[in-house]
Amino acid sequence: MNCEVCHLKELEVESFEIREVLRCILHTIVFHRALGLIRPKDIDLELFDITYVQCGEIEVEKKIDETIEHFISWIEKHPNKKSQICVSFYEVKSKQPSWFNNKQRSYWEQWYVNLNVLHQTKSPSHHSKLVMDTGVIYMFCGNPTTVEASEERSSRRTMLEQSLQEVLFHIIKFVNEKKDHVPPINDGVIYCPFEITMPSSSDSTFGMDILKRMLHSGGHPSMLS
Amino acid sequence: MDFPENLPDMGRLEQIVSHFFPKALHIILDSRIPSLQSRVGVRSRDRPNLKKSDKWFNLVMGDRPAALEKLHSWHRNVLDSMIIDIILIHPNHDDETVIERWVVQYENPLIMSPQSSDPRYQKVYKKAIILLRSLHAQTRLLPAYRASRQLSSSLASSSSSGYEMVYKVSSFSDVFSPPVTETMKEFRFTPVEVPPGRLCVSVTYRSDLSDFNLGAHITLPPRIITDYVGSPATDPMRFFPSPGQSFEGASFQGRRRPPLTTERPHSWSSGFQRPPTPNQSFSPQFSPDFFHSSRTDGGYGYGGDSHHQLSPPFSPSGSPSTPRRISVRPGTAPVTIPSSATFNRYVSSSSNFSEPSRNPLPPFSPKSTRRSPSSQDSLPGIALYKSSRSGESPSGGLMNHYPGHKLTKDSKYDSGRFSGLLSSSGSPRFGFSRSPSRLSSQDDLDDPDCSCPFDFDDVDESGLQYSQSLDRRKTSSSISQSLPIGRKSQDAAVGVLVQMLKTAPPLRQDSSTYMASMSGVQREGTESEFSMARSTSDALEELRNYKQLKDLLLSKSKSFGGETRVH
Repeated sequence: MNCEVCHLKELEVESFEIREVLRCILHTIVFHRALGLIRPKDIDLELFDITYVQCGEIEVEKKIDETIEHFISWIEKHPNKKSQICVSFYEVKSKQPSWFNNKQRSYWEQWYVNLNVLHQTKSPSHHSKLVMDTGVIYMFCGNPTTVEASEERSSRRTMLEQSLQEVLFHIIKFVNEKKDHVPPINDGVIYCPFEITMPSSSDSTFGMDILKRMLHSGGHPSMLS
Repeated sequence: MDFPENLPDMGRLEQIVSHFFPKALHIILDSRIPSLQSRVGVRSRDRPNLKKSDKWFNLVMGDRPAALEKLHSWHRNVLDSMIIDIILIHPNHDDETVIERWVVQYENPLIMSPQSSDPRYQKVYKKAIILLRSLHAQTRLLPAYRASRQLSSSLASSSSSGYEMVYKVSSFSDVFSPPVTETMKEFRFTPVEVPPGRLCVSVTYRSDLSDFNLGAHITLPPRIITDYVGSPATDPMRFFPSPGQSFEGASFQGRRRPPLTTERPHSWSSGFQRPPTPNQSFSPQFSPDFFHSSRTDGGYGYGGDSHHQLSPPFSPSGSPSTPRRISVRPGTAPVTIPSSATFNRYVSSSSNFSEPSRNPLPPFSPKSTRRSPSSQDSLPGIALYKSSRSGESPSGGLMNHYPGHKLTKDSKYDSGRFSGLLSSSGSPRFGFSRSPSRLSSQDDLDDPDCSCPFDFDDVDESGLQYSQSLDRRKTSSSISQSLPIGRKSQDAAVGVLVQMLKTAPPLRQDSSTYMASMSGVQREGTESEFSMARSTSDALEELRNYKQLKDLLLSKSKSFGGETRVH
């Protein structure tokens, strides 16, 4: 079975925007691959004027939130790096026992979410308050900002919102165009099994992920040498 | 979806097509027309009586509104296109603009070659599911969704923009006039081949709706407050009116709030800037947009519900960005119940407020109320909390709905004050009965479904200090009527005690001396007002009654394993 790959547009985000942006993108992807009986849930982003849809499964939510937390901690250790999150959908097939396991994962779709996390030049001396009122978010930082800086931040956020919308449109377009590779829906299965990995621009981690994928797909042991 | 086993594939494919239209219609209109949205509380994927129509395409949308059912019954021929227009109309300007046009159709089967498509219904069904998923997601991304939310959120304020969003479903359409089409964009979903034809969905939409001026607040970018002065979490009872505006608004059934001074608006007080209509209750915190972020289930916020004509002090606890809300009845607007910690703050800072409606916080625990027995804030909160609960009977007092708890001994929450609140609210959903027999007969206190803000075990002697007026006759009669020992519940006994204390004439101002008398020490002298008015024997008799009551309570508490501190 061929594995369809989709590379999403790179988004420039600040560290406090990571959670919302990733949640939006990852949930949108999984929603289109949760083909079992679901009750969709509309979620409004707090930082952007965007509503996305979740499939409503708690396990999915938990998995995505854990991934995002890991990603954020990774970002804190590796600032100023372009990063990539990969969502891989797979089928579990029982094949002849191999050296490693008798169940193999057959990946049929991969999504690459590209983020460029901007380094925060100014850290607020006090905590930042996010106060929401009638759809307008007021953010208070310890240090007062100049008008220029706030305008720049505002325009950057507007652009990010537009880019995020483009990414969501891209996801919808992709899932519409390519449907043949999606495996059949099994009874009782709500969403297609998936995993989320975080290859980075550094080679070592990326290489390990490739190796892991080879092992799961039942690669020949000689490939390890 | 469970297809009938004996149905041939072609029959199943026909079913897929015939059910696709109403499902698509439901998804589109559900996201655009608030009146056609399914109730949040009804929708549940795990409900055993989930309708079959809701299971189609594995997408639970909730009960289909009657209007949609009628539309579905109208569209019987699957070969007819279904054209759904989303229109913005302005009644005053006689202006109609189609901002979206959705076209759902089953394309002419003669065009398709039968060999190019896989006739297996499972695969077709899977693709149709994916198509509808993307349709569902797409409806949230288009500008009309925001416009719909803006319009529905402005309903509470009499729709400041004047626009209404309506829909029209037809099987043919007028061609767009050239000026309109220039501003429209088109998106076509990839068709799903359903032999012998294919299902197609497309949308033509206006990408920019700023011309309509539907509402400015949602499109504003975040602003940074450089002179941020506080938050509701730190100073909840403080008003921060809008600048340059003195405001008088009807807040609670015609009751007026004092005019506000011109100060910088607080982050949660943006609603102050909207002048309310004369007969409208002003509740800026309860604008649906206020709960925009906490909305997770597709339901809209509320507005204009008569239960929630609250004055602004009924603020949510904690940070305003995460207002807690508790929906206590389907169909009603949620009521925010602050935590006891916040309640303590409210109670302690109550000096600025004398109106019961301003501090509608329930007395959670006598422990918290004990700190400020002079607070007059808690009962109105109970009133509002209880008025939004379903199935509440208006009978009985507070103890009827708070099982296992004792009433606070703060006798300033007397019924005279409370009834004043009721008359102002105009919603006699419950009453505070002063009749001891009524209180004593309320064994509903054991109802486990009720959450009681009172802790029965926290009856405190400080409450007895409040009994400045004791009516001996009422006391003795009420005891005899309401406390046949061994029959009535402990809670009823406490209620009777409180009632007696409230109705009792004042003894003396020195409460410590009074306490000494209650513990059995004989009072001497004629200093108190009570001793002036009554004889010593009367006092002794009353003391005896109290002792009996105390013994009763102690015996009851021992039997229940609790501990009372009634002295």
